[in-house]
Amino acid sequence: LETLNFSFPAGSQHVLRRVQVGIVASGNLEVLLEPTANAYSQVRIRTSVSGYAETWKALLQVFFERHDVAACIEINDSGASPPVVLLRLEQALEESL
Amino acid sequence: MKGESFSERSARERARVLLDQGTFRELLDPFERLESPHLAPQGIVPQSDDGVVVARGRIRAKEAVVVSVEGGFQGGSIGEVGGAKIAGALEMALRDSARGRPIISVLVLDTAGIRLQEANLGILVLSEIHAAILELREYVPVVGVIAGKIGCFGGMGIAAALCGALIGTEIGRLGLNGPEVIEQEAGVAEFDATDRQLIWKTMGCRRRKEIGQIDLQVQDSDTALAETIAEYCEKPKLEPAGARAPRTRQIESQLKKINDYPILRRIPERLTPSARTSVNSHGLLWFEALTENSTTTPEAKSVLAADVQWGGETVRAIVVVPNAVARFPRARDGQVGIEEGWEIARLVREAMTADEGREKRALLAIVDVPGQAFGINEEILGLHLSLAAAVDAYATARRAGHPTVALIVGKAISGAFLAHGLQCGQILALNDESIEVHVMSEASVARVTRRSPEEINSLASLVRATARDIRSFASLGAVDQLVNCDDSYSIDAHCVASVRSKILKAISELRLFPREPKMRLDSPASQESRKMSRVVRKALEAEWS
Repeated sequence: LETLNFSFPAGSQHVLRRVQVGIVASGNLEVLLEPTANAYSQVRIRTSVSGYAETWKALLQVFFERHDVAACIEINDSGASPPVVLLRLEQALEESL
Repeated sequence: MKGESFSERSARERARVLLDQGTFRELLDPFERLESPHLAPQGIVPQSDDGVVVARGRIRAKEAVVVSVEGGFQGGSIGEVGGAKIAGALEMALRDSARGRPIISVLVLDTAGIRLQEANLGILVLSEIHAAILELREYVPVVGVIAGKIGCFGGMGIAAALCGALIGTEIGRLGLNGPEVIEQEAGVAEFDATDRQLIWKTMGCRRRKEIGQIDLQVQDSDTALAETIAEYCEKPKLEPAGARAPRTRQIESQLKKINDYPILRRIPERLTPSARTSVNSHGLLWFEALTENSTTTPEAKSVLAADVQWGGETVRAIVVVPNAVARFPRARDGQVGIEEGWEIARLVREAMTADEGREKRALLAIVDVPGQAFGINEEILGLHLSLAAAVDAYATARRAGHPTVALIVGKAISGAFLAHGLQCGQILALNDESIEVHVMSEASVARVTRRSPEEINSLASLVRATARDIRSFASLGAVDQLVNCDDSYSIDAHCVASVRSKILKAISELRLFPREPKMRLDSPASQESRKMSRVVRKALEAEWS
């Protein structure tokens, strides 16, 4: 198990409500997305697959470039592939706005 | 009636679709982050709700609670937090229902049973879940739903058998031992875990319906399940469950069925069955010492019982022992098998009937059970039901006023221990190195959790609930008293007298202060080791109404 923490400058759009999507099952992940008042969007990741910090960072960069949002995000990951992770993040975001 | 597929939904969505539209209110939702504290230290990513969803709402305008287990997370396994959510919800429903405010209770079971990584914490909370279902079903419909891809196994299979009504779909499976575990324990000749047809023919809900072990089979659809549950809850006194005794109490007819059953011979018979001796059974040794052979039970029996007079107390001692000529080959080494579970239930209920209207004799479960029987015959006949019958009998006797005491003298493993021991009001144990308390053999734990036996051993020192020794079990607050004896194999008169006096003390305490499994949480030892069990219940109570 590896824990990773990232933060990105908060975007202009604030999420309205907290949302949980997904399951910590093989190849899948759970995303908890909440409003934040901070100047940074904070992301905490716990993943069963160690050694992919750079991949996570790049993936989150893509997400925050695509979506100009401010949110606090927690991810519990069980080896999901990057497209699945992005899909879940966008699903959570969609439900939170 | 079509509707969407129920099995494709998450546990949370399943709870939502079973409740009247717009009434779903989740308790202890993911943002309260009541996750398992035991997984991360073992390198496993936790889930924010620990895989159990508890929701209040209404079913056809009547107050209800739905507990839904997420099969996708760790096989729907029950650990301390998820287990406390289930037990706590049932205990709250019971509190309200007993006060005249009925809460219909629905359990959506998609679970492999106890979470091996939280082992003995799981076994303890399962005993609390069993006790709560049995009491709650006297007040309100308690409906079990088996409609997920995991099915319902282990201690949760026993829980299912205790529900007032069971509803399944063709996708669901119900049993005690899952296919992989049977194959690991008994060999591929006994059960091929890759043979899907065999699995569903043995344990599938369609099969269970045919032999009367579930009440209703419906199609895998939201609306079909929601309507069926709602209709049952409106007329619980009618068919299916209300018209006859609960299936865990149909002892004579089940014993007859088992007697008539033609056993499948999957493994070669042992050539020379070894005779039963006290060398291979601590249970027999202690039974004989404590009862002074006051009864002669035929050699062919694997459950022995004797009534003894100690001071003013009548005590019925019950023990499961090796039986080389037992009909079912997988239950010859002291396991609790299909015959044994029902026989324990029969012996307990016989004492209850005999004591009606007078002083209730004490019941002493002498525990030395290496596990439940792992075999295809057992699963075909419904081992989960047999063990549930024993659970029901001990719990009902306890509540009827019989002091019930368990004495652990050997192994206390898994479903066998749930059936024979864990429903007792007090648990005593010999303080002895040879005693083992656990949920599964090391080999099976290794297979299911995909770890080496060495890894498992090193984790046991980290997470005490997975350790097998009696002192670790006692540290969970589960043992009322540890009894020191020099050597449990060569017991002397002094030691027997000491054990007997401790049993008598437990009996007199229980006569004054009857106890139930959840009261183990009040013990000083459990304050730290089962902290989350209390935190979860307290939080649940705060959000309940």
